[in-house]
Order: sequence, then structure tokens, then C-alpha cells
Amino acid sequence: MIAKETIDLSYRRLSGKGRRLELEAGWPIQRIALLSDAASQQFGPVLRALFHENGVNVELYEGAFDGIELEALNPESSLYRFKPDVIVLALSTQALRGKYFNDSRGDFADENLKRIQDLWKSLRNRTSAQILQFNYVMPYERVFGNFDVQASQTLYASVGRLNLALAKAAAEMSSVNIVDVEMISSEVGRATWFDDRLWNMTKAFCNLEYLPLVCQAVVDLVSTLMGRIRKCVVLDLDNTLWGGVIGDLGHLGVDIGAHGDGEPFFHFQSYLLELKRRGIILAVCSKNEMENAVRPFEDNPGMVLRRSDIAVFVANWDNKADNIRTIRERLNIGLDSMVFLDDNPFERNLVRELLPEVIVPEMPEDAADYVRYVSSLRLFETTSFSAEDAQRADQYKNEADRLELRAAITDVSEYLRSLEMRIRVSRFDAENLVRIAQLTQRSNQFNLTTERLNEDQCRVLMEDVNGWTPLYASLSDRFGDHGLISVVVLQHKRESLRISHWLMSCRVLSRGVEEFLLAKVVDIARELGFGRIGAEYIPSAKNGMVRDFYARMGFEEIANETGRTTWYLEPAKFVARPTFLKEWR
Amino acid sequence: MEIDVAQAKFTGIMREVFNRPDLQYSADLTAAEVDEWDSLSHVDLIVAVESEFKIRLSTGEVRGLKNVGQFVALIVKKAK
Repeated sequence: MIAKETIDLSYRRLSGKGRRLELEAGWPIQRIALLSDAASQQFGPVLRALFHENGVNVELYEGAFDGIELEALNPESSLYRFKPDVIVLALSTQALRGKYFNDSRGDFADENLKRIQDLWKSLRNRTSAQILQFNYVMPYERVFGNFDVQASQTLYASVGRLNLALAKAAAEMSSVNIVDVEMISSEVGRATWFDDRLWNMTKAFCNLEYLPLVCQAVVDLVSTLMGRIRKCVVLDLDNTLWGGVIGDLGHLGVDIGAHGDGEPFFHFQSYLLELKRRGIILAVCSKNEMENAVRPFEDNPGMVLRRSDIAVFVANWDNKADNIRTIRERLNIGLDSMVFLDDNPFERNLVRELLPEVIVPEMPEDAADYVRYVSSLRLFETTSFSAEDAQRADQYKNEADRLELRAAITDVSEYLRSLEMRIRVSRFDAENLVRIAQLTQRSNQFNLTTERLNEDQCRVLMEDVNGWTPLYASLSDRFGDHGLISVVVLQHKRESLRISHWLMSCRVLSRGVEEFLLAKVVDIARELGFGRIGAEYIPSAKNGMVRDFYARMGFEEIANETGRTTWYLEPAKFVARPTFLKEWR
Repeated sequence: MEIDVAQAKFTGIMREVFNRPDLQYSADLTAAEVDEWDSLSHVDLIVAVESEFKIRLSTGEVRGLKNVGQFVALIVKKAK
């Protein structure tokens, strides 16, 4: 797949297309409510068209013009009857300016922060929808000139403060994410962002030419919430991570370092290291002798990336598509979560041809443009960041190391015993809600029902002690900590204990975690006095690996509606299978 | 710009923006006669005209327009 830069973001094309679209059979549906103090009508067709280009149907609800508070505060409003998955709060600088002129001139930023936070609270009390909050584009007018930024009550200074405060408030409030419209406007330029004629005529949000960029940012965030995320960057070496050919120049001869000809590559490596620190896995796929390829990572002082930053390192003369398949297997992630960066057009085309799911961006001619370009592709969106994310890249590396050990030990039981695994199973708790929600959003393959949960929905389960037993499991072994790797949610029905969610990170497949957790579920059913455990499998494009999961676990099938299967298990007849996991509390 | 070229292009834009492939050009056609021509699609029409003819229309110029014929005359004048 070529990256998204090839999408034509013309307003005329998208709004025309969006007005003519029909829902496509079999595509996922997102219910999106758009609330705005500008005209929402121009957003609708563009959003529809862009989601369509991402394979998603949209049911769109457009709130009445400038009626946001009324709809949010009324529990009977058509907004809540619509049952949105996502609520977009598209607030405009023009409307804010209107408030500013009518204001009593208290602390304008503070008052508006409070107004918006109150809005979030009333929305959150009545729906579990994710809230996407636009920040404000900085206004163009100044009354003090340069001194505006220092005179704290000017509109200009107030909007700056309000944006900072909104970002901070969103970070502290689950289920709220900022759409950084200010960033988009400053990229294209404030000189042409606002079109006051169109605002006067119909309250158009901005120069309509730029509206698709704003909508694209919404699509990026919603796709992330739907679990469409990139986990790994596969890197070429020669002329991608350093200048020149290692085989010719030797490990000290290639261009890499903080100054001179190596600086573009130094900058690029620094950016990649930042990606790794936020949890993106780095892998290397190079046509080289292994010995040559590894050497700079160990012995060139100008390098930013070290050998330990690379989760899987492949250097040989085989074709790169095969090598990327090998990397995929070692990491156990989907091909569509991988990005391949290579300066060589031949290699890029080969990978596009043979592995169409992998994202293969073009690369600029000049290495000095690498960082700007890769960043502009918006490949690494997320809606949350937890302490565990920072560890993730290392966890994948540990896992790849385990696989090497496994290759050395031929007997599986002996291998599993040698890992010295410890598992902890707990009811959902407040400290882990971010990570729990994230796991439900990111797990695609080992996910029995693929029902995503956001933080608020997890909290509801956590607090409902009589209705639900929501569990998560963490795993560690002698190579390191896997962190939180599985979620099993049990609903206390009248007749049975129902498994509403069962999902697991594919990093820990075939360790016995599933067997261990099922034994746990059976224990809970016995304790609570349930004579029956119910479960469901809902097929998705990606979860074929668990189609027969409940059969393997000893459940009986009771129904099959076009692939969607229903199962039960009687705790009385259940015999636990041995595992090599030790429980710790 | 020749008036017949502008007329043809403008008719194409109206058909696209209002999603009415059947619309025919007539100088005295007004918004009131086309169901799809409301204040919002009017903005889309202006934006499309501006990008097609590479011109920029002021608020006053837009407000003064009474019918399609005047719109095309304005385009011909601005596009030189």
C-alpha cells in the first residue's frame, strides 16, 4: 500500500463525492455526531467521503447550528437518541471571537475552559462516546502588535492559553481527545485559513479548501479508535539510516553523526528513537552481510540507534518481502500494522507488489527531508499514552529473543518451563483502565467478539460488582515483563456466566495463558454458583485464528448464524489443563 | 474570456454542485427556481467558481447578483 499522501484532498471532489455516497455492505459503521458553533453542513459530505476512502460507513448526526449546550444538557435530545460512537466538538475561533466582544472581560480563557469542560461532563454522563474536541485556530488580529502575547487579556493571548488548558484538561479526562486544528492551520498558514466572506454568508468553519485537512484529522483519530494502528517500522540501512554503502565504506566510513554529511541521518535516527520511546517497534531489513550490518550499531560513536533498540535485525541477500514476513512472524503482528522505509524504489515496489498490506511510503530524494516527510504521513496516531507504551518496543524485542531460545530448545514443555512465567489476574482497577481500554482497541487477531471498550465503559464494568466480573491478566518471565496482556469480561446473567469479551495480545500466544484464564473463569463460575458458562465468537476480518477457540477449550456449540457462533461449558464437567504459569498476587 | 466559454463552464459547475445533470443554462435563471440551490450550496457554488476561473469575489459582488446571467457577466469581467 502506498501511503496516504496520494489521497486527493480537494474540497470540491470530496464534497461532491460525499453527497452521492450510499452505505457499502459489509463495511464497519461509525456513528458520528458533529456539534459545531459554525456551519456543520459542509463537514458532512467531506467526512463521509474520507471515511469511505478508508473503508468505513458513517452514520452522521448534525446538531442544530449553535445548539451544542441545549443538546448536551437535555437527556431527551435527539443527540442522545442517536447513540453516537464519537462526538466531534467543532468549535470555531470566529464564534469565540463573538463571545469575546460580548464578554464581561473576566478571565476569558478560564471561563471558556470551564464552559467546555462542563460540556464534556454532561456528554460523558449521558453517553460513552469518545469526544473529539477541536482546539482553536489562533486569530489573525492583534491590538497591541507584538505586545499582544504579553497583554494577557487580548483575544490572541487568551486563545493561546485556552488551547494549552484544553490539552491539559483532555489529558486528565478519559474519552476526550484534542483534534489539533491549530497545528493544521499553522502548517497551511493563517494568512489564508479564515475566509470571512464565507463565515458571514453561511458560518463556514474556514476556507473550504482546507476543510478536508480538518476532516482528515478526525478520520485519523477515529481510525485509531477502531484499532487501525501502526506498530512497527521496518528500516533499510544503506542511505536510509546512514549515508553510503557499509559494504564499501566500512563501519566508520558511512555518513552518520551530529555534524556534517551524517547530520540528516542523525536527525532521522533521533526521530526513530523517539518513535521507539513511545512504543513503536523498530526492525531492520537490509541486503548486507549480517556482520557488516550490525557493526555500526555497536562500534560507530556517531550512531543514535543501538543494537538493543532494534527488535528484529535481518541482514541477508534474500528478497525483502520474505524477510518482512520473517520479521512479522517473529513479532506476531499484522502486516497492515507495519511500515517499510527504504530509499530504494526497486525494493519499495517489490514489497508493495508482494505484500500489499504493508504501508510503503515513497521516500524523498534528499535525506534532509526524511523526518519532515515521515512525520507528515500521520502514520503513528494514538488516542492515549500509558507508561506501558514506553516499554512496548522493548517487550517485543524480549519476545524475539525468546523465540531464538525456543529455536534452540526442541521440547516445548521444557521451553515453557524454562521461561519461569508468572501471571497475575485482577479485577479491573482504576490505575490500569487506560491500558485495558487500549488493549481492547488494539487487539484484532486474538479477540473473540472485537467489541472495543473505551475508558468510561471499562470504569462502568469495574464499578458494577454485582453485574460483572471484568478481569485483566499481566504476565512476566525471566526475560522481562510483558505487562497487561489479556482481558476477560464476565457478565453475571440469570442462568449463566457469560463471557462478553475475551482478548489477548498475540505476543503471548501458546504460553498457556488461555488455559490458565479459562480455569480461572471456571473457578469464578463455581464460586458464584453458576452451572453454565456462555460464550460467543463474532467473526471479523482479522480474528480467524480464534474461530475454533471455544471448541479447543472444550465448549459445546449451540448455534451458528453465518459464522457467528454461540457456546457453553458446564463447570461441573470441566477438567483444567496443566500449564507452566505460576500465579502471583 | 469569451462569454460562451464561461457559460458552458458555469453550467457544468451548477450541475456538479447541485447534483442536477439536467440543468440548462438560461440567463434569467435564479436560485428560487432550483430546489437544491440554498444558502449552503450557494457557498459551494462560489468556491467552485473561484477555483475554476481562478478569481476571487468580494462580499458586495456576490450580494449584488440577481440571476445566472449577471453571475456569468461578473466572471467574464473578473477573469479578463
